Amino acid sequence: MQLDPSFIWTAFWQLLGAIPTTLSITVVSVLAGFVIGAVTAMLRMYRVPVLAQIASAYVTFIRGTPMLTHLLIIYFGLPMVIDGLAEHFGWSFRSVSIPMIGFAYISFSITAGAYMSEVVRAGILAVDRGQVEAAQSVGMTTFQSLRRIVFPQALAAALPNLANSVIGMLHGSTLAFAVSVVDINAKAQIVASTNWKFFEAYLAAALIFWGLTVLIERVAALIEKRVGAYNRGGVA
Amino acid sequence: MGAPFDIGYVFSFLPKLLDTLGVTLMIVAGSLLTGIVAGFLVALPRMYKIPVLRTLSGIYLSFFRGTPILIQLFLFYYGLPEILKLVGLDLTRAPVMFFVILTYGLHTGAYAAEMIRASVEAVDRGQVEAAYAAGMTPYQAFSRIILPQALGIAVPVFSNLVIALLKDTSLAFTLGVMEMTGKAQTLGTLTQHFIETYIALAFIYLIISFTLEKLLLAAERRLTRHENREDKRESTFRLKKRGSYRTVIADINTGKGGGA
Repeated sequence: MQLDPSFIWTAFWQLLGAIPTTLSITVVSVLAGFVIGAVTAMLRMYRVPVLAQIASAYVTFIRGTPMLTHLLIIYFGLPMVIDGLAEHFGWSFRSVSIPMIGFAYISFSITAGAYMSEVVRAGILAVDRGQVEAAQSVGMTTFQSLRRIVFPQALAAALPNLANSVIGMLHGSTLAFAVSVVDINAKAQIVASTNWKFFEAYLAAALIFWGLTVLIERVAALIEKRVGAYNRGGVA
Repeated sequence: MGAPFDIGYVFSFLPKLLDTLGVTLMIVAGSLLTGIVAGFLVALPRMYKIPVLRTLSGIYLSFFRGTPILIQLFLFYYGLPEILKLVGLDLTRAPVMFFVILTYGLHTGAYAAEMIRASVEAVDRGQVEAAYAAGMTPYQAFSRIILPQALGIAVPVFSNLVIALLKDTSLAFTLGVMEMTGKAQTLGTLTQHFIETYIALAFIYLIISFTLEKLLLAAERRLTRHENREDKRESTFRLKKRGSYRTVIADINTGKGGGA
């Protein structure tokens, strides 16, 4: 094998076609994860009986096990559950009709949810208690004070962590190869093995991921500047 | 999709998976050592602001934090022998384990470097000044004042680093290393009881990360026992009882939020 620099460029162009798959997995899992995370964080912080314990168990389980096992458990377990239910209730829906990428969406959303839960929680913890007391003293309800006072500030505080989570999910989306979804990583594998140029193909994939990560970091820094505009001065 | 679910298989797979626990832990321990050494080498130029080296560490950090570990594994496995061939080193016969530990080590190094830098910078400068004022030598000030405090600060981040590393090792099977995930896949293929193997696998990972977390939490408590444990910070919500605010922050600050 001889290093072939020009093939990096060829592979790069072929990999570009797989970027939408990677990005869609990332975006879906981050958005769904954020919703799951916000709900679980709220349940835990307000100590809702039973539900809070379930939420804690969920977060502990997901954060204590590799993302790959979540994907594999969903991939092998979900069809079993769906087909079992379908047979029992006589539905016509069968798990075969779920596209492969659907498993990636579901599993990665569940993974992201647990990590987002911690991000949301840390963000809300960063908001000063006096802010909530002030909101309540001017007559806002709990929901109003959360939506108008706590969330905007928590979002600003959570942005760096949120960006990290997005990057984490972007990198995690490479696991989708395990359920035969052709994302950048799987495409690199295909390009590499058809041309027998592994190093060049993975180098191109690494460059794409690097570029995307830097892009996300830059965008996050821009948004942070904008969202944190109210918070000039001080040390933070 | 395989044979019907049978909970009995979960229990019978547990000891079989535990046989390969050693390989997983070896990767974790090996990469942790490599990572801490690499982390120090990378963090020092950044802390002391050494011109060229500082830029190089910046690139190193950006690359290892900016690309997925899976891509890095393949890149090193296929690329390193080719690059080293140019300087006359033959790595084609090196065991896969070498590449795995090296890659995980360098990957961990990037996060360790940030951990080291942040912990040292988090120690109040007044502490050092007070140490000097009390007549300590620079070495005494470092070993008696800075190091113990920096360690306490670093432990929650370190804990996450180790657990993230443990979870990342589940990808080593892609290069053909027979660690726990690889073993689980073989067991699944052999018996067609995939879901049971993966449940057993997840259970083992959960137990290990839980144990590691508890051990490191105990270490943190011990290292920060001089601090006031009462949490007096103003906050809307109460914190979880078992950890400090630092633990909560560290939980999400390794840059591995959601990572594999």
